[in-house]
Amino acid sequence: MISALVALSVALAAGWLVWVFFDVERRADGARGVGATTLAALALWLGMVVFYAPIEQVQGLVQKIFYVHIPAIIPTYLGFTLTAVGGVGFLRTRRESWDQLALGGAEVGVVFCSLMLIVGPIWAKPVWGHWWVWDLRLTSTLILWFIYVAYLFLRGLAFGSDAARTFTSVYGIIGTAAIPFVYFAVDIARGSTMHPSNPAREGLPTEMARTAAAGHIAFIGVFAWLVARRMQLAALEARELESAARGDG
Amino acid sequence: MNGLEVARAILAKDLLLDLRTRDRLGHMAVFALLVVAMLSIVVPASRPERLAWSPALLWVVMLFTSLLGLSRSFQSETEGGAFALLVQAPVDRGWVFLGKACANAVALIGALLWTGLLFTIFLDVDWSGAWLAALGAGVLGAVGLAALGTLLSAMSVAVRFREFLLPVLLFPLVLPVLVLASSLTAAALAERAAPPLWWAVLALYDWVFVLLGYFVFDYVLED
Repeated sequence: MISALVALSVALAAGWLVWVFFDVERRADGARGVGATTLAALALWLGMVVFYAPIEQVQGLVQKIFYVHIPAIIPTYLGFTLTAVGGVGFLRTRRESWDQLALGGAEVGVVFCSLMLIVGPIWAKPVWGHWWVWDLRLTSTLILWFIYVAYLFLRGLAFGSDAARTFTSVYGIIGTAAIPFVYFAVDIARGSTMHPSNPAREGLPTEMARTAAAGHIAFIGVFAWLVARRMQLAALEARELESAARGDG
Repeated sequence: MNGLEVARAILAKDLLLDLRTRDRLGHMAVFALLVVAMLSIVVPASRPERLAWSPALLWVVMLFTSLLGLSRSFQSETEGGAFALLVQAPVDRGWVFLGKACANAVALIGALLWTGLLFTIFLDVDWSGAWLAALGAGVLGAVGLAALGTLLSAMSVAVRFREFLLPVLLFPLVLPVLVLASSLTAAALAERAAPPLWWAVLALYDWVFVLLGYFVFDYVLED
């Protein structure tokens, strides 16, 4: 029931983004409604984190970082998926809108990935006793972050030209192709992990699971809103450049 | 002229250039010598510790040394103004990639053999027990590095801050090569048989990125 709700919100967000994507300049204005809904979801989530979710007996208050850390996962992977999809779309069609989708996915994905990587150690230090440990998911998430930061660097340094858009599309695609290898290679050659495996999470108390789900839904909303706005901004920038080039801007 | 001939011609041209000028290979050799000599001073003196560190250090040295070679894999074309001619080769540009990547792989295997020799001289590493497995890991690792490095080097030719960008683009993507090749090298040095899965994943990685390079090079070279 709870995970079905989260899945539904992913499907809704993805569907809305697809709809926006096909006519960014007109449809992105609908982001206002999505933004308002998301704001309400964020307020609900924050209220649940503070008042509803119980204080964990062993870890204490610091365990509440869980409700920030875990919900950041889905937007991270959604963002990087959009980057790969946008890259393939751009190389095939040469339409700028695909490139704007890829850019939105990468930038917003990096934001959520950074959030996850920053709050993770703050939680790990009191609980595990270390800021950073040798762990499969930690390491592969860090590499993921490096790949997409490199992607943004490439974009920034090669700014503007058509070749730049092509290069970043190619890098987005090969970066995504490398991720399963990073995960798998580290897993088989180094093994062992400190992160709880997924079945262990099934045993969460209902209050905790509900609060985490509220976080997932709110973060997915924030993600969709940010990506839509980013695409809109990129489209406006492109139009501005075009009219400046024509000399009537 | 078909694709294979173009690839072969580019490979032959690059190898000849490497042998005649000796710039690229020479700089890689001197750099590796310098780093390994420094390592021999700073790495703990006891033999077991040196052996434990060697596989990882070998591959880190390889990674940095390969940057010197990879960043210049398109230099002769850009300096001679031949980049546009390369683009105009009347075949699928994937073949241009294969020729270039093969030339880089040969240069990197050369650098790897040299680095292995340096580790024997300076750090007392004995390859005689499992040289075949170590060489196999080295070749697979060099091929993966060459495939990715050639692609990314072509992309960073026209970009500002190339020296900074190439490692930033390359390092995260070659982590699987680094992890698997150094684990395989460690197993070989300890005269253990490595799990076949390690070999399979490393070989698959090479294969995927050679294929990807072949298919996307068309886009990278278009301007």
